[in-house]
Amino acid sequence: MAPLKSLERDYPIIDSNFQQFCASHGIFSVEDFLLHDLYVLVAFVEQQSTSERLKQGITQVLSIIDGQHQPWLNGMELLEDGRQNKHVLSTGCEGIDFLQGGLREGQVTELVGPSSSGKTQVCLQAASNIAKKYTGNVVYLDTCNSFSPQRIAHFIDQILDPPFKEAKCKVLQEVMSSILCHSVFDIFAMLDVLYQLESNLISQMQTGDGRVRLLIVDSMSSLITPILGGSGLHGRALMVSSGFLLKKLAHEHNVAVLVTNHMVGGEGGTLKPALGESWKSIPHVRLLVSRDHGSNICNMSILKHTSMASGKATRFMIHG
Amino acid sequence: MALKAWINGDESAKEMLGRVLTERPFLLLPPFHRVPLRVGNVVEVVGPSHSAKTEILMQAAVSCILPKEWNGVHYGGLEHLVMFLDLDCRFDILRLAQLLKHRIVEANGSNSNVNWDENDVGVWEDIKKEPKIAYDEDLFSTSMRRFLYVRCYNSLEFLATLKTLCHRLQKEREAHGVSVHILMIDSIGAFYWVDRASTSLSLGGTNRKSLSLQSVSEIVVMEIQKLLLVHPMLVLATKPTILGDNYSTSGSKRKWSSQDSSDLRTVTSGSQKLSYREYMPPVWQSFVTHRILVRASDDDLANRRHQNYSIYLSEWSFPSLNFLDKLIVRDAGVFTVS
Repeated sequence: MAPLKSLERDYPIIDSNFQQFCASHGIFSVEDFLLHDLYVLVAFVEQQSTSERLKQGITQVLSIIDGQHQPWLNGMELLEDGRQNKHVLSTGCEGIDFLQGGLREGQVTELVGPSSSGKTQVCLQAASNIAKKYTGNVVYLDTCNSFSPQRIAHFIDQILDPPFKEAKCKVLQEVMSSILCHSVFDIFAMLDVLYQLESNLISQMQTGDGRVRLLIVDSMSSLITPILGGSGLHGRALMVSSGFLLKKLAHEHNVAVLVTNHMVGGEGGTLKPALGESWKSIPHVRLLVSRDHGSNICNMSILKHTSMASGKATRFMIHG
Repeated sequence: MALKAWINGDESAKEMLGRVLTERPFLLLPPFHRVPLRVGNVVEVVGPSHSAKTEILMQAAVSCILPKEWNGVHYGGLEHLVMFLDLDCRFDILRLAQLLKHRIVEANGSNSNVNWDENDVGVWEDIKKEPKIAYDEDLFSTSMRRFLYVRCYNSLEFLATLKTLCHRLQKEREAHGVSVHILMIDSIGAFYWVDRASTSLSLGGTNRKSLSLQSVSEIVVMEIQKLLLVHPMLVLATKPTILGDNYSTSGSKRKWSSQDSSDLRTVTSGSQKLSYREYMPPVWQSFVTHRILVRASDDDLANRRHQNYSIYLSEWSFPSLNFLDKLIVRDAGVFTVS
């Protein structure tokens, strides 16, 4: 947050006298103001000779602070924002679409499942479907070199209507070029991409065609697990702040976010989602995927949902 | 002068009656129903992720924003504002709207077996197309407007919100003609790891405060205390148990035996056991006046009678009532089951 010095140009009331007074109380920036008891500060101001002017300064800083939180909304405004901006995107994957209609923009959906349970297939299918159907951009963060353009082409081929087969090449090209894949192999590379994405989204503020509708991180756990070792303090802090960044991107820019997570052995040998308790409070929706042994029938069930009962389950097929 | 004020007493009987009537205990729905709550109380709902904490808050919010009566129909609400601070950033307005509509329809008693088609998840459209049964759009939107919401993505935004809340609540009170009755915080531990890690990044400087879990908690408590003086409210905060799943497994017990035993809060009730490990700084802990523990039950009762519903357990740990409530969450809200 801004140092007081830099505010002087825009707000003349924050003059050197005011800065000096603040400095004597250990306040150098707007952030320091947040950490202070302003009532105590005002009491100190009363003793000063220039108290009026200093008080105006504090009021000025308070109005700056007022601009630094998210806007106030009431229930109807929230509902309206939801109706207009938070659409449910059909993924083409029967599992997700049956359970909740698709992926909701503004939400972070997590796919949990043991290895080779079909998580990446669901991601690839969702990417193809959303890129084709909504002519939106998809940002795909691939952490294990599992992104497969061939599979994408296959999925697109499946959803194309037969009469348009001759134009297939062109459509395929268009859809493929709207899926942007980034290979990231550590959490810092991911944060880099996400911050870059955020600043692009802020500067463009696009609507309609060509805006980013889906962000996929496959897999989230392979980026986070390596940093959770040791005392775990900084690793967990990074994990939680990445989670908040995803939620912020999702909500502020109306992007649907899909991340994957693997399973680890818990107490008593039962499998449970990796990344522990602190991660649990990050995703809005948590879906469990598993595959019947040796077949391509998958099961999907709701582990957690913001507006639906958990436990609901369905079966779907991954097409070869 | 001071002596005279003392002799004159603090308030007249009329003033006192007025105060007592506005400060009457809240009659809230489960699991708050066991203890009378008043403005100024700070209630913490503690439980692991997925234990219906937010659901419990939303149900209380609906009771608060509904009017007592509307067009001759009794809704039994408090007709006051609710302020919801969303630190988890997972609030689903759709769920609140759904709960509110259920309550409105229920009070009208029009049709007890309304089909709120569960599979129909064309979510946003539902709200508009659903009223096969008539419900009062006006009542719905008036009530929804009493629900105030701010989301915070980090501690600094949270502090910035709190610092400007007093002024803002004043304005809302003037605009609506009623005051905010409940301040909700979902959830208080959201930035725990981030704040703890930022401690080590302390900036130089002699008397400069640095951002840390301790300093943030101190300011949060201080701001809310100051706020409660001007705007008497009930504070409801959720707190996730982020330090591992802690209930009654021998492995976890062993792990903690070396720790300070006061860190581990355990509530025993028959064979069931709800416990959690405290992680918020003492300044927040001592600010809390009531505490409820909740968790999802792995009880098989679920399979017998309430097939599609998960069962949750709730227990008052502060004040300690040796009683375990079983709750289920349905579309229409949280209900106790015996």
